[in-house]
Amino acid sequence: MTPITLIALLIGVPAFLLLTYVFIHGSAGLRHYILTRVGLTLPMVFILATLVFFVMRVLPGDPVSSALGPKGTPEMLARIRTQLGLNDPLIVQYSRFLGDMVTLHFGNSLMGGHRPIVDEMSERFPATLELVIPASIFALVIGIWGGTLAASRRKRATDYALRIYSVIIYSLPIFWLGLMLQLLFGVQLNILPISGRIDPVIGTTIKHITNLYAVDALITGNWPAFGSVAQHLVLPTITLGLILSGVFVRMTRINVIETLQADYIAAARARGIREHVLVFGHALKNAMIPVITLIGLQVAILLAGAVLTETVFSWPGMGSYLVERISSRDYTAVQSVITVFALLVALISLAVDVVYSLVDPRVRY
Amino acid sequence: MARRWYGADWWFVTISAVMVLGFIIVAMFPGLFAPHSPDDLVGPRFLAPGAHPDLPALILPSDSPDNELIDLAVPSDQPRPIVAVVQGVPTSGALNEQAQVIDNQIKNEPGGLRLRPRIERYATLEEALQAVVNGKATAAVVQSLEFEAISAQFPTLREGASITGERSTAGGFFLGTNDIGQDVLSRLLWGTRIALIIGFSSSLVALFLGVPLGLFAGFVGGSLDRSLSLVMDSLYAFPGLILAIAITAVLGPSMLNIIVAIAVLYIPTYYRIVRGQTLSVKEEVYVEAAKSIGARNLEILQKYIFPNVIPSVAIIFSVNVADAILTGAGLSFLGLGLPPTIADWGIDLARGQRFIQTAWWMITFPGLAIMLVVLAFSMMGEGLTEIFNPKLRER
Repeated sequence: MTPITLIALLIGVPAFLLLTYVFIHGSAGLRHYILTRVGLTLPMVFILATLVFFVMRVLPGDPVSSALGPKGTPEMLARIRTQLGLNDPLIVQYSRFLGDMVTLHFGNSLMGGHRPIVDEMSERFPATLELVIPASIFALVIGIWGGTLAASRRKRATDYALRIYSVIIYSLPIFWLGLMLQLLFGVQLNILPISGRIDPVIGTTIKHITNLYAVDALITGNWPAFGSVAQHLVLPTITLGLILSGVFVRMTRINVIETLQADYIAAARARGIREHVLVFGHALKNAMIPVITLIGLQVAILLAGAVLTETVFSWPGMGSYLVERISSRDYTAVQSVITVFALLVALISLAVDVVYSLVDPRVRY
Repeated sequence: MARRWYGADWWFVTISAVMVLGFIIVAMFPGLFAPHSPDDLVGPRFLAPGAHPDLPALILPSDSPDNELIDLAVPSDQPRPIVAVVQGVPTSGALNEQAQVIDNQIKNEPGGLRLRPRIERYATLEEALQAVVNGKATAAVVQSLEFEAISAQFPTLREGASITGERSTAGGFFLGTNDIGQDVLSRLLWGTRIALIIGFSSSLVALFLGVPLGLFAGFVGGSLDRSLSLVMDSLYAFPGLILAIAITAVLGPSMLNIIVAIAVLYIPTYYRIVRGQTLSVKEEVYVEAAKSIGARNLEILQKYIFPNVIPSVAIIFSVNVADAILTGAGLSFLGLGLPPTIADWGIDLARGQRFIQTAWWMITFPGLAIMLVVLAFSMMGEGLTEIFNPKLRER
């Protein structure tokens, strides 16, 4: 079993169980909503895949000749083109591409070892997960706390400060934030590593089980490795997390402000409930649902941010894989990574919407 | 509630408008502000901001046509040039070595030029310089910082290039120099032009495609609207940077390609807003009335619907320029956007990352510039939203 099927199963089985549960117990309206939503996801993935395909094939520039470079003879060029099926009619290539995508079969890399791209991606994907998960948690904590605070102090100094914070964070180039953190903590103070996932020496002692190094180190009880992984995680996590937190502060603030204007808040205030409890208990709790949804839809920022963060910190994840393969002109790999990103975006936004519709009965088509 | 002109939102708009205007002026006339050309190798490598380069420099009479050590070379039948140095400093050794290197290079070339300076040693710096003033020596070689300290006493002398081949300038560099001796400040100022060109032109292209499409889809409705919206929503949901990466990766690095790639990303932003507004304005009574008195569709679009969407388009445009500049910088940071020789902030940052241990100024200032430009445009968008959108204000 390849790691990617493992990941697919880990996501797929719970999703399937959830959908089955909904279909047995849910109302007709809910069933209808979920069916429509799934129905909309398929064309979305299809459109994105088509776009990727045409961008890679139809636009000027020949990927094979640029991959071969000046050494490529016309014979080599022709052989590789036939091998990849680039001489077939476009429609044949297109249907083969769609078929490959459904079966998650991405072909072999054009580079050195000609390894299957699925294998290469399944090494890289856990690294991205290991970065993205703590970064999201970090951003959520700052975002929800800051947004609620700003809403409760509306039009006062704290509110303006937090709004300026979110505008400034929005304007920060994520790669520059990464560089500045490297400069401060890695170079000036020299307390944190600035590149890679783990110390290369300690890295040899780690057992590759899930390829999430932190998890691997924990279950094997390899404490030095865990420490090294944690150290390497700090700066990339802060970089990506801070960038995300700006949007989160903004969204939480708007939603909590909206909730604070509801009648039941006025009623609670009239009963003499303390403002602090009112904001963080009553209002935040009710604003959480839309906030979590909106936050779930920031996958796009998260993924784009991950590409840049990984590049700055030489983090061997999907993003740096994409950038590496672009500079070496390995177009099958580039196409596959982008397709996987498209699938991820579509599936995550589907999942968020479905969960939202389960939690909030008002959401129906 | 009347709109207060002195509210925080107006401050946002005013401050950001001033910043935007400033950036536009710099982008239009970078040559006026930049002390050097962005591509010229004008100084020594890795010079810290404000620091003066301390190199063994050639000191010449102000009217001398020479500037570099090689200019002192003369045909072998003429007398050898005399160079004054200070006793007991290592300069003369370096001078000898350097002259030897140059001499070996030029002696086989036609013209018969040789560089074999006669070195005369003086007890003090002042004496060495005085020798040049009196014409006893063709030039002097002293540390440039030492010369600059007392240069007021020798108004007839000037500092030429350094003898080691590294360039030396008297003034130093406000933001330092980079790994090949270009002026960071000049590259920063010229980079404004690139950033604004990318920001403005890609947002304009997106606007000119997205707005008509949105108007059209919202006004006509039906299956055409549905399928167009599906395409736009898919594009909108996808991480823009990654799509731009794909497009520029295929098109190759050039200014036009980066603009195309970024424009494609932002078409859906305009489309969605304009379509939504068109849908709601379409139902208004005054549109109904215009229809009933026989106004044609084009007229309705032009007179009733289009004016209603302009404010939102202005807001999106402002935010959009900010976004496009960020995306463009991201692309060139990854080495995808522009040819690597262009003075661009993203490219300079990528270059600076390699020297993070030695040259903090190379990665600090270009990023700061990106941040300020993006901040100006997004603050303007933010302020405009609150002013144009009273509903949000009064909530």
